[in-house]
Amino acid sequence: MINIENVSMKFNLGIEKDFSIKQAFVNLFTKKGKRKKEEFWALKDVDFHIGRGEVVGLIGSNGAGKSTLLKVVSGVMKPTKGKVEVNGVISPMIELGAGFDGNLTARENIYLNGAILGYSKKFLDSKFDEIVEFSELKDFLEVPVKNFSSGMTAKLAFSIATIVNPEILIVDEILSVGDIKFQEKSKNKMMEMIKGGTTVLYVSHSLQSIKDLCTKVVWLEHGKVIKMGDTKKICDEYYKSQMN
Amino acid sequence: MTKVKGIFGNFKRYWFLMTQLIGRDFKVKYKRSVLGILWSLLNPILTMAVMAVVFSQMFKFKVEGVNYIVYLMTGIIMFNYFSTASRDAMTSVVENFSLINKVYIPKYIFPVAKCLFVGIDFLLTLIPWVGIILLSYVGLGEYTCHINWYYLLLPYIFVCMLFFTVGMGLLLSCLSVFLRDIWHIYGIVLTLWNYLTPVFYSIEILPTKLQVLMHFNPLYQFLEAARTVVLYGQAPSLKTLGILGFIGIGMLGIGAFVFRKKQDKFIYYI
Repeated sequence: MINIENVSMKFNLGIEKDFSIKQAFVNLFTKKGKRKKEEFWALKDVDFHIGRGEVVGLIGSNGAGKSTLLKVVSGVMKPTKGKVEVNGVISPMIELGAGFDGNLTARENIYLNGAILGYSKKFLDSKFDEIVEFSELKDFLEVPVKNFSSGMTAKLAFSIATIVNPEILIVDEILSVGDIKFQEKSKNKMMEMIKGGTTVLYVSHSLQSIKDLCTKVVWLEHGKVIKMGDTKKICDEYYKSQMN
Repeated sequence: MTKVKGIFGNFKRYWFLMTQLIGRDFKVKYKRSVLGILWSLLNPILTMAVMAVVFSQMFKFKVEGVNYIVYLMTGIIMFNYFSTASRDAMTSVVENFSLINKVYIPKYIFPVAKCLFVGIDFLLTLIPWVGIILLSYVGLGEYTCHINWYYLLLPYIFVCMLFFTVGMGLLLSCLSVFLRDIWHIYGIVLTLWNYLTPVFYSIEILPTKLQVLMHFNPLYQFLEAARTVVLYGQAPSLKTLGILGFIGIGMLGIGAFVFRKKQDKFIYYI
């Protein structure tokens, strides 16, 4: 389903700095080889395979490259080296509410955000009521989103993002949105999606939810795969290494 | 062939997103204004009125043998389309960085959507423009502009200009990702380009050498072709029509080529 082959991702931390007259001037006088290289490898030779129906958890400390990996898989970034093969329709739930425009009403934003997520007009028309129902925002459909509270915005975004039955689901930790009631509801919805036989790539810092859901775990650290395999074993090892 | 098919397939797949982006621009533009979309009509009418007074009454500009007001308006609406669309397209990729960084969307959509959005505005300005032409029948200006069958060539001319503009938009939006200075530079380039294009004057007032050079100005070609139809009631020569197509497709090709080559690097410059 997803083939990740020797993927490396390089960022140049110096880009911001290079964009000044001062730096351009300095660069005139330093030889090419001597310039300080501020490269940062967010991913290094990451290589694994995810089969159909597998639920794979990604763990690792902050800055380990988890989100970068998700972005590479979802196609936002092209890897510097290696390649990623994906067979199937991806639903990326990396960031909710991408492209929401505060000036537009909730109704208009449902269509705009839906289009950005790659839904068709027909699909959105047929699912519109379901989205509104789930978001509990029926009375606020004609209100510009800029007047929404952050919780309301998140509820709307979550409802739009989870309306599909994707073949591949990419989830970054976004489960806890809204009030207690909605948190419970959204959690159930996620479980339902994950357990519905879709292939899932799941990032979370909650080891409990990873243990509950995942059939396999990949442990990333400094852009490298430290270990992968059995969920419980690796989660325990990870926990120990973090606590020491 | 499969490549071409792929491009069109991609276009079709993301057409709904394109309409949504264009719709967003429209809604945001006219939100909270009482007259709303009427401004799209009113704005060009008022601008035209101001320009007409300034150039034909105050400066006493004239172009021999034609209706000067129609001459001026044709130039203004076409040049304004190009300058607004290319400038908005130029900033569109950078402005949508937050989106590009989150979801996979083909990036060409942003500049193309801008060019189409401004294109709709352009179509609306054609309404008052036709109004002025009709008024020339009842004595606006010295000469009457006769509506004729060659008007059917106008859509072709406009489409060529659209292609040219999209090509410029793709090129500029791509370059400005790497060098934000382009935004400032292009503003000045546009001002210069405006004066180097016979929008409110006729090239006959220029020295012969400059007249020859003018033929290398793509916008002059578009303006001249449209004016040949509207003011002189003639069809542009086949050669001219060919040149227009060549300019349009050529610029589109260059823009698309550069954009395609560089688009995977955008993400590093966010």
